[in-house]
Amino acid sequence: MSKCRAGEADSFCVARLHKLGATDFRSERVRTTDAQTPAISIRGLTKQYGSLTALKDLNLEVVQGEVLGFLGLNGAGKTTAIRLLLDLLRPTSGKAFIFGHDCWTEGLAARARVGYLPGELGLYPDLTGFEVLDFLAGISRQAVDKRRRQELFDRLELPHSDLRRKLRQYSTGMKRKLGLIQAFQADPPLLILDEPTEGLDPLMQESFYVLLQDAKQKGRTVFMSSHVLSEVERVCDRIALLRKGELVLLSSMEASRQLAPRRIRVFFKQDVRVPPDLPPGHEFVETFPQTWHLNVVGPLGPLLAVLARLPVKDLEVQEARLEDVVLKYYREGAS
Amino acid sequence: MTGPILLLSLSLKRARTLLVATGLLLAAFQVLLVLIASSIHPSKFEDLAALLPPFVRALLGPAVASVMSFGGIVCLGYFDLAIVAALLALIIALATLPASEVETGFADLILARPLRRHWIITRTIALVLISTLMMVALMMAGTWVGLAMLAPDDAQWPSPMMIGSLALNLGMLMLCWSSVALALAAACRRSVASATTGLLALAALLLDLTARLWPAAEPFAWLSPFRYFIPFDLVMGTALPVENILVLWAIAMSGFTVAYLLFSQRDISH
Repeated sequence: MSKCRAGEADSFCVARLHKLGATDFRSERVRTTDAQTPAISIRGLTKQYGSLTALKDLNLEVVQGEVLGFLGLNGAGKTTAIRLLLDLLRPTSGKAFIFGHDCWTEGLAARARVGYLPGELGLYPDLTGFEVLDFLAGISRQAVDKRRRQELFDRLELPHSDLRRKLRQYSTGMKRKLGLIQAFQADPPLLILDEPTEGLDPLMQESFYVLLQDAKQKGRTVFMSSHVLSEVERVCDRIALLRKGELVLLSSMEASRQLAPRRIRVFFKQDVRVPPDLPPGHEFVETFPQTWHLNVVGPLGPLLAVLARLPVKDLEVQEARLEDVVLKYYREGAS
Repeated sequence: MTGPILLLSLSLKRARTLLVATGLLLAAFQVLLVLIASSIHPSKFEDLAALLPPFVRALLGPAVASVMSFGGIVCLGYFDLAIVAALLALIIALATLPASEVETGFADLILARPLRRHWIITRTIALVLISTLMMVALMMAGTWVGLAMLAPDDAQWPSPMMIGSLALNLGMLMLCWSSVALALAAACRRSVASATTGLLALAALLLDLTARLWPAAEPFAWLSPFRYFIPFDLVMGTALPVENILVLWAIAMSGFTVAYLLFSQRDISH
């Protein structure tokens, strides 16, 4: 089983992806090692609850301006990592920094740069939407531009009439919208979002993606956990995958897709014989006299060389999906 | 300072209905006591004392005559068991707010912002202090309004010093138990903190009462905060000893300090 071990996650993935011909991931790494301070820097972070290790020796850097998707099954340690960054949990060992500020010794400076959306919004039902937003803006010591806030109301379709209502009258989706607004309203340089689209309808999910795109264009950094792989695939630049508290994958979106096999279907003009062996990384799924179904990991060159000698009528290449990569890692963990 | 003040304002705003309603009820009860005391003929107070069960007379000791007087009945609200229990329940509910905020996830939202953790505890102490002051102030206001409006001309009013001492002693007792509740709430769930404080208060009260009735328990009575709550002595005209205030103050300060320490080290998880 291949995985990014603690402390060597980056180098391992760089090496492996380089072998696969991925270049963009390496360029991402170059950006990280520049003098530019990472938005998030996590070094050897471990959190234990008695004998249970919720997070084990996590090493991760999020560069400024990127959107990093934090993936993992329930209980993988995603929320634990987020809560450690925000000083809600105290680490067993390790360090974490937000824009160079130690999350514990300089917690105020670190958190002053963060907009946070928790997985579960603990809001008082007897407050109105406006009261919640004003209160949270007030204790954030972050200036909130009224036009910016209004823009968020409009984009997430939360009218003033709803914002004047008590939260006990809010639906789950409305609460989630309010949560997003409170996280985005001060336009912080770093957004930490825990399952941001949970409870949002498809239209609002679209609005959220646009919001995220805008934040990215303005150079904001986004660190988001999600279960929705299509969403991660769409909005994230990189993914970090946790399994049982350990980082098992850290790669750019494009490079990560190359970790999964592409599905190839080859159609022939006439019956062909199945070759006795295929190049490494090639695997037959099904074979028929005039059709082959294969899975290919890595470049297609060797396969094309084989096919060049055969009467090929058509070739169908299905790009690898993030889902295939992630599920593979999940299954490896389960097994 | 904006953040902590906002936090306190929000807590006061959310508790205002409970505080105002409780305060007004207590004030109304004080007026009612004046009305009851006024309705008793001065010569009948001794007969009233004779109706008390023997164990109550034993508990009251030499204070029987003072308690069963116009002034004693007017002051009953400051040591009536039901009133004390209600005030302790109120103060425990307020002091366990940090635990509730952690459990509901509200603490996540506020502590993920540039706000120091200790402000949650400081806010709660301020909330408890304001509430205690408000309750005893409204009780005293009820007593004076009742006396001014309803007391017979020939009735002997309790002295302002006596009312003030009773209110101070009661307020300190409330602060003492709020600190116990807060210390527990800094580390436990709200239900656990509330129940444990309630049980501790009950045990302490029983210890104090037992010691008053059974001399063998007397050596342990100093452990009970209720030992330093001496309304019967105050009704007899004794000045409130500074030591009693200091002991209750020391317990309160210890509880608050433990609360700061525990809350600063705990994980905020629900």
